[in-house]
Amino acid sequence: MAAMNCNVAIVSMHDYLDGELIREDVASLKAHLIACPECRARFDQLERTEALIHNALDMRSGVVETSESAVRTQRILSGLPVRRRKTMGWTRWLRNHPAITVAAVFAIVMFSSFIAMWEQDDQLTVRGNDLTQLVIDGDTVTVPQGVHVKGDLTVENGKANVLGDVEGNVTVIEGSLYQASTAHISGQVKTIDQALDWFWYKVTHSFSSLAY
Amino acid sequence: MKSMEARLARMALKGDQHAFAEIVGLYQDKLYYMSYRMLYNRQEAEDVVQETFLRVYKNLDRYDDTMKFSTWIYRIATNLCIDRLRKRKPSFSLDAETGDHDGIDGYSMIPSDDRTPESELMLSDTQRIIHNAIETLPAKYKSVMVLRYLQDMSLQEIGDVLELPVTTVKTRVHRGREFLRKKLEHKL
Ligand SMILES: [Zn+2]
Repeated sequence: MAAMNCNVAIVSMHDYLDGELIREDVASLKAHLIACPECRARFDQLERTEALIHNALDMRSGVVETSESAVRTQRILSGLPVRRRKTMGWTRWLRNHPAITVAAVFAIVMFSSFIAMWEQDDQLTVRGNDLTQLVIDGDTVTVPQGVHVKGDLTVENGKANVLGDVEGNVTVIEGSLYQASTAHISGQVKTIDQALDWFWYKVTHSFSSLAY
Repeated sequence: MKSMEARLARMALKGDQHAFAEIVGLYQDKLYYMSYRMLYNRQEAEDVVQETFLRVYKNLDRYDDTMKFSTWIYRIATNLCIDRLRKRKPSFSLDAETGDHDGIDGYSMIPSDDRTPESELMLSDTQRIIHNAIETLPAKYKSVMVLRYLQDMSLQEIGDVLELPVTTVKTRVHRGREFLRKKLEHKL
């Protein structure tokens, strides 16, 4: 009993409250408390303090309301940055497929240069094998009635006014086509007015046709 | 076997927004209480909670699942609280005292907002004393006490969260408890 002094006893009291006092030391502490009224009073105070702190800090006795909680959840989630994985995934994929990336970039560059060409190109252009009988007035290209055009006819950036016959295809790019009741076109009639169509037209046609 | 939180963290990392919302749901109130008890200011507590989740979200890929998820998230939140406390005016130190607390009055040293949760409840004098006393504790004691009593953490877990040896945690709990005992002395 006398083996434990009051300072050691106080440390033991705290260890006891922490749940960390081994059984033999619990016995020694008890023995001291029986013998020492001062330490007994101290221990009593500490036990009450412990209970009061637990009580005061117990989260379940808190006053956060469910609505408050829901508002906070919303704010937290909306405050997060946009998930970076989506864009990261895409760039990572590109990094892992360099050949495709190069091809894609090449295609985009090519395609945009075609669009640029298409946008720049607003001059009337007429192409065909037999252009001598056509009447061109402003941006209107007329195949007069009774005239017989041999081969394909292409009109770019203008109006095609077909009154006579065309023995071949008539293609109008970025323009309009008027076919009179007297007109006769033996081949296909095609109107192209979008960049993409034009792109394919340029790609699939040789550029050897005569420009007027 | 992985904890539920570790699994949620991994799902969130893969882009599962619902998994992250689950994590928020699991921890937001606990983090709010803890931050409030550390800072005794609603707005600052809200800010800490928001910042904690932002950091968790941004660093999900760095979460080491050999550590408990709760340890990780509490570490982030307590560090944010401690940073804020350190930026405030310095309060007194329990280290320097020689057993006698009389004459120390830290009550007015740390500002607090007047709209505390306690003001909405009928609080007993003893509870008010405890809250006032906790409010005046220096950051390093406050974090230990709040984790111990509010989150019911073991001394080992507190050591993990605060990256302190258990012996240090133990000393701080003992000093914090003694400090509160003295504050409550006439009420006990
Ligand atoms: Zn004694």
